[in-house]
Amino acid sequence: MSERSPSMVEPVDDWLDAALRAEAADHRGDYLADGGFTARVVAGLPAPATPPAWRKRAVMGIWAAASVGIALALPGTSVDIAREFVRIAVGHPVSLAQIATGVVLLGIGSWTAAVWALRRG
Amino acid sequence: MAQPDVTDAELIARVVVQDDRHAFSELVRRHQSAVRATLRRLTAGNHALADDLAQDTFMLAYRNLRSFRQEARFSTWLFRIATNAFLADARKRKEELLGDGDAEVGADDDEAGSPASAASDHTRGATLRLDMERAMKGLSDGERAAIVQCYHNDLSHEEAAYVLNCPVGTVKTHILRAKAKLKLQLGAWAPEQD
Repeated sequence: MSERSPSMVEPVDDWLDAALRAEAADHRGDYLADGGFTARVVAGLPAPATPPAWRKRAVMGIWAAASVGIALALPGTSVDIAREFVRIAVGHPVSLAQIATGVVLLGIGSWTAAVWALRRG
Repeated sequence: MAQPDVTDAELIARVVVQDDRHAFSELVRRHQSAVRATLRRLTAGNHALADDLAQDTFMLAYRNLRSFRQEARFSTWLFRIATNAFLADARKRKEELLGDGDAEVGADDDEAGSPASAASDHTRGATLRLDMERAMKGLSDGERAAIVQCYHNDLSHEEAAYVLNCPVGTVKTHILRAKAKLKLQLGAWAPEQD
């Protein structure tokens, strides 16, 4: 239970308490005009952190080079992985209900992760 | 002007997720008056210093927005940053502030304790408020901060404790001491006892 300030007022302090409240109430409705204050604050904010344009291309290039490098270094592995994917897909045909269940589960998982991340952050 | 139906929480999310400067400027626009008014009270009417501290407050809020956990209202969180900024600044200027404050309050003591008996109710009220503002300068930084948060910002003791970053008991002590000092300063305004 939140205790408001009047609860601690003793009778002897009534006049002082009333005076404090009247003085506060006098100014509570006052609105200080912005007068450029917001603009000054926004102008003082640090510059937005925008990554240089070349960074995205460089990252994609590195990933492409790494993928090609792995494929060349382990030629049999990539073929084996592709073959396994095809075998699983052909060997276990999925029904429409299974796809729907999968989509729902994926949705629940993503939303749960998003809510958790928002609460945490 | 941004849409009034957008809540503070939505604007905060936009700033945190997308670094949306327009959303942040809307937050500043919404809360600048309350923050600046609070700081004007804390600095005993030093408008220039209050506005400098208010600017620091919003810059700090921008940098630390990710750490805002919504455990308090956004305005209360801003009051907390503003009060910390004020107290840190007051510590730096302590000698200068105390010297000026003491001299000013000492010189005003007689004036504050002598209400004009012939004044009308309206004038009497206005004079009491002027005396009150003057007497507030005689409080310590912590006492003034507690009075400002509990009376002017209408916060509960728990909220004031959050803003002042101290236990609830300390807030109550600050208020009791502040009132004792104010009673001394404004003794002449006390109603006569039968």
